[in-house]
Amino acid sequence: MDKQLKDNPNRELSFVTGGEVNIRQDPWWWLVAVVIAVVALLVMLQPVPFKEIVVFARDGILITILVTVTSYFLMLVLGLFGGLGRLSKNKLVFGISTLYVEIIRGIPLLVQLIAWYFASPVLIQKIGLWLNFTPLITYRANPIITAIVAITVCYGAYMSEIVRSGIQSIPKGQMEAARSLGMSHLQAMRHVVLPQAFRVILPPMGNEFIALLKDSSLVSVVAVADLTRRGREFMSAHFNPIETWLMVALLYLILTLVAARVVSYIEKRSRYDR
Amino acid sequence: MANPIIQIKDVRKRFGHVEALRGVSLDIEEGEVVVIVGPSGSGKSTLLRCINRLEEYEKGSIIVDGMLLDNNQNINAVRREVGMVFQSFNLFAHLTVMQNLMLAQNIVRKRSKQEAEKVSRELLVKVGIPEKAKSYPSQLSGGQQQRVAIARALAMNPKVMLFDEPTSALDPEMIKEVLDVMASLAGEGMTMLVVSHEMGFARAAANRVIFMDEGQIIEQATPDEFFTNPTQERTRLFLSKILHL
Ligand SMILES: Nc1ncnc2c1ncn2[C@@H]1O[C@H](COP(=O)(O)OP(=O)(O)OP(=O)(O)O)[C@@H](O)[C@H]1O
Ligand SMILES: [Mg+2]
Repeated sequence: MDKQLKDNPNRELSFVTGGEVNIRQDPWWWLVAVVIAVVALLVMLQPVPFKEIVVFARDGILITILVTVTSYFLMLVLGLFGGLGRLSKNKLVFGISTLYVEIIRGIPLLVQLIAWYFASPVLIQKIGLWLNFTPLITYRANPIITAIVAITVCYGAYMSEIVRSGIQSIPKGQMEAARSLGMSHLQAMRHVVLPQAFRVILPPMGNEFIALLKDSSLVSVVAVADLTRRGREFMSAHFNPIETWLMVALLYLILTLVAARVVSYIEKRSRYDR
Repeated sequence: MANPIIQIKDVRKRFGHVEALRGVSLDIEEGEVVVIVGPSGSGKSTLLRCINRLEEYEKGSIIVDGMLLDNNQNINAVRREVGMVFQSFNLFAHLTVMQNLMLAQNIVRKRSKQEAEKVSRELLVKVGIPEKAKSYPSQLSGGQQQRVAIARALAMNPKVMLFDEPTSALDPEMIKEVLDVMASLAGEGMTMLVVSHEMGFARAAANRVIFMDEGQIIEQATPDEFFTNPTQERTRLFLSKILHL
């Protein structure tokens, strides 16, 4: 580390100049900058239609971010419980979580989204009729909430397996040492196993975020006005598919590239802790 | 005379078809240092692991410090009184040496941070590595890691210490530093149950040597008698193998 610093004077500088630290340490930030510059250039040089598209899709970008971030954190929680369930000695807990993981992973996300949006309200209304309970009979699906639920349930299944394998990668001796010191199973999990497993699952966790961000475009089929749906609306109003989808693709690219940089930054930070 | 601190009665344990323990009975008095030897697979580790219930046994009974190992509450109470040192150290990899020593003091013994830190510092001095408090396990040699593991177990003020081949994962030049710590512990009157083939340690520190084979205790005697004058044929065969290594 010290040696590297001496060999590379630029590196030394980057530690002093604060703001540029990220760009200097992680050259991929340049790619982000280039894509943003391209978008800015297009918007400035050809406001019609590029600026119009961006303005029109602004709220769509926010919805995409909202859906992504919310379902991401919810699915992390679900994945934690699913993963612990997959390792449970309790047969019922193990059975339920295994069934959940196996079934959900076998059905395409798009099908799940559509089912949640179109089928589940009808089911709920039928149950309402059966129970003669008015709030259920008049139930209508809220597109955004339904989309978040569907993505959470689907990604939670994949996350469960990531959590499970992360926990299993921690040597058994860690749990045994903790137990032999008098910790309960829960305490040992919380203070010894999970913190170590967390480091192992951090990279796949980051990948899941980026994958989820891209898959969030599927919610456009269930009436959520995300970036993709706003793009479609703009295209049908103005009949300029090339410009519209170029811009939509670039906007997604900015989001995923920034996310990838943040993920790699967090990974590096957690590696330096040791 | 007081009751033995560990009373093991006819304990049996099997793993599938393998009978790891076939009726082991053993009493350990307070302050005794007992060394267990025996060929690989004879059930030495299993016996130690049954004493703090890392393994469950099917038949028999184990009473530690007056507590019968049967319900969960007792198991945790017993584990607080029994320290265990493993062949592979098992230090918590994500924590510094100091944090390794403090964690269970905080959450199991409910000691304040200051108190736990004070206890830890004293123990690190005792095992001879006070300067490593801020290091991570991966930055220590095997001998240092094992000494930290001993300190971590001692931090809980156990009445009994179990050692499962504490030096067999160590390079030869590090074995002595760990054995020295164990010998001084024995000198202080700690009750110790040690699985180890270090004959020097057994002769110097043990009150009793036990030979196990095929899940049973075959012979037990004082170290002198055991090494010079074993009564059982199997013991003689085993000793001739390990002494000629
Ligand atoms: N978790 C387990 N699952 C299945 N079999 C096991 C398990 N642990 C131990 N055994 C078996 O039980 C027997 C006793 O094992 P144990 O580890 O107690 O022997 P040991 O005397 O400690 O041997 P070593 O000197 O090799 O450590 C062996 O036959 C072993 O294969
Ligand atoms: Mg063993």
